[in-house]
Amino acid sequence: MQAVTLSLADARHPLYERLSELGIPGNKTEQYKNFAIKPLLAKEYAFKEAKQVEPKEGSRVVIENGVVVESPKNVKISFEEDFKADEEHYDALYFMSHVLSKSVIRLEIDADAVVEIEHRISEKERLFAYRLCVTTPPNGRVEIMETFDIKESQNALLLYGVDAEVARDATLRWVRHENAEIDNAVVIGSHRYNVAKQGAIELKTFDFGSGLALHLYKIDLDNYAWTDAQHLLLATKEARRGNVVHINHNQPYAKSVHEARAILKDKATGIFDGKIMVGHEAKYSNAKQNSKAILLGEHAHMYAKPQLEIYTDELEASHGSTIGQLEEETLFYLRSRGVGLDDAKKMLVLAFANTLIETLGEGEAFDKIHADFEAAYYV
Amino acid sequence: MMNIKNMHAKIGDKEILKGLDLELQKGKIHVIMGTNGAGKSTLSKAIVGHYDVEVTQGEIIYKGKNLLEMEPEERALEGVFLSFQNPVEIPGVNNAYFLRNALNAKEKHHGQKETNAAEFLKLMRKHIEQLGMKPDMISRALNDGFSGGEKKRNEILQMEILQPEVIILDEIDSGLDIDALKSVSEGINRMKNGERTFLVITHYSRILDYIHPDYVHILQDGKIVKTGGPELVKILEAEGYQAVQKDL
Repeated sequence: MQAVTLSLADARHPLYERLSELGIPGNKTEQYKNFAIKPLLAKEYAFKEAKQVEPKEGSRVVIENGVVVESPKNVKISFEEDFKADEEHYDALYFMSHVLSKSVIRLEIDADAVVEIEHRISEKERLFAYRLCVTTPPNGRVEIMETFDIKESQNALLLYGVDAEVARDATLRWVRHENAEIDNAVVIGSHRYNVAKQGAIELKTFDFGSGLALHLYKIDLDNYAWTDAQHLLLATKEARRGNVVHINHNQPYAKSVHEARAILKDKATGIFDGKIMVGHEAKYSNAKQNSKAILLGEHAHMYAKPQLEIYTDELEASHGSTIGQLEEETLFYLRSRGVGLDDAKKMLVLAFANTLIETLGEGEAFDKIHADFEAAYYV
Repeated sequence: MMNIKNMHAKIGDKEILKGLDLELQKGKIHVIMGTNGAGKSTLSKAIVGHYDVEVTQGEIIYKGKNLLEMEPEERALEGVFLSFQNPVEIPGVNNAYFLRNALNAKEKHHGQKETNAAEFLKLMRKHIEQLGMKPDMISRALNDGFSGGEKKRNEILQMEILQPEVIILDEIDSGLDIDALKSVSEGINRMKNGERTFLVITHYSRILDYIHPDYVHILQDGKIVKTGGPELVKILEAEGYQAVQKDL
């Protein structure tokens, strides 16, 4: 990566200090060790800080090569230089993306709004670094559909992230839909969701394709706050894709349901590194975590690391993880009724994936994600 | 209709079928009875091409071809149907979606027009009602959370919709109460048309009170050792398998 010049004042900033403490991630860094981060960060990228302009009115928020070019009426965009990032975040690239972004793109969204955010990357061999900040209004419900259009951007790296504040009694539903091929830019997202008392974050990620992508989340839950986090991964060819998720129960009665499903074809590698931490104060918490993976390719790999870290006795918690192939007896049953082997496999894989896709409910998002899943499965 | 000749088959290293000969007549109901471990379920699995069973010798001639050379789905498309003793539960696969796929695959194989969704639902509802099944069977996942009786009825539902030519019923009567046994038997009787062949594997005679077999075969140690009519069942009931042993 090209050197970025820092002033003395910058270097004393807490974000630099945290970055310096954590160090640049390498192959031994826990959350990156199955992602092959070292060669990605060792590459030379052209880097230019994005100059934000007044976005034109459109139907969604479009961020093109780091610049907000479109925004709908119900979203107010501003740029914040003195953004207070989460100094407790575990990921060095969270701090690096903040340091490189200089200003954070703040999205103020009306209550009960449904907003699409599209990331567009069209340039090659460049590093794009930016951060988004989303705040929900108290008692409101906001739905975000995050999509990516990053075709023909070989050797580019998108280093971005979201800092979301879910206000008291508010609900944020965040759906990330990523469909990436091997020639696309590599995406690394490092995020933080802070959920206030009785607030909720529904995080649903749908990640299909053959490229490289890793998302790292830190979700903090206050009193009676809850999260329902679901991840569906379909990785093909030589993909390395996945999620690292730390959910922190910081106060009593917090609840988390964390479910990850992965289907891995060819020589693909899937990553699920999930940790639910229930703190000393977080009595009467409820924490459930589950990870399931199906290996369809002989050389496919799944790295699953489900963890519960518990510091209180009064809670309900469970976790589990399975990695395997499609069950022979189940395949045979379908074939014994005249369904061909390929169709039987597809039927079972779709059933496995549909458990999560169907949680979107009927509508445009469901249709699009369902269709993209089928298209990615047949590549 | 189907001629099984000198069939030897093993599961793992253990030889289970040891030169079994059996000719299934067109339009007839054949019953196979035998002690536990005699090879009844292995025979049914060998006919449909189950991966557990390795056929080491012999052939099954059906429609002029050796069935053993076909994949399981090809056997099904050619009209061979096994009602499983313990049907698997498949969460996430909708019962109606699966069955329509299976029916359309069969129609395609035979060059027929594929049944559309509306026609299929009408057909499925009719059979569900006849079998005394709950209407939600259409939308539930395949066998997922079904009771033993519901699973067996669902097997008969599949059979009635797919209209196979050779039907193997592997202990269809096990675990059924009287009402379920009656409705399953009625479903089987509806399928009789003088052309279709049945191979009924059972331990008990009670289902035979409803479906009236033409032939009864006794399977012992991997071979058919005796063939007779329905009277054979009465002898077995009165004297047990020792009666057959004495005759050999």
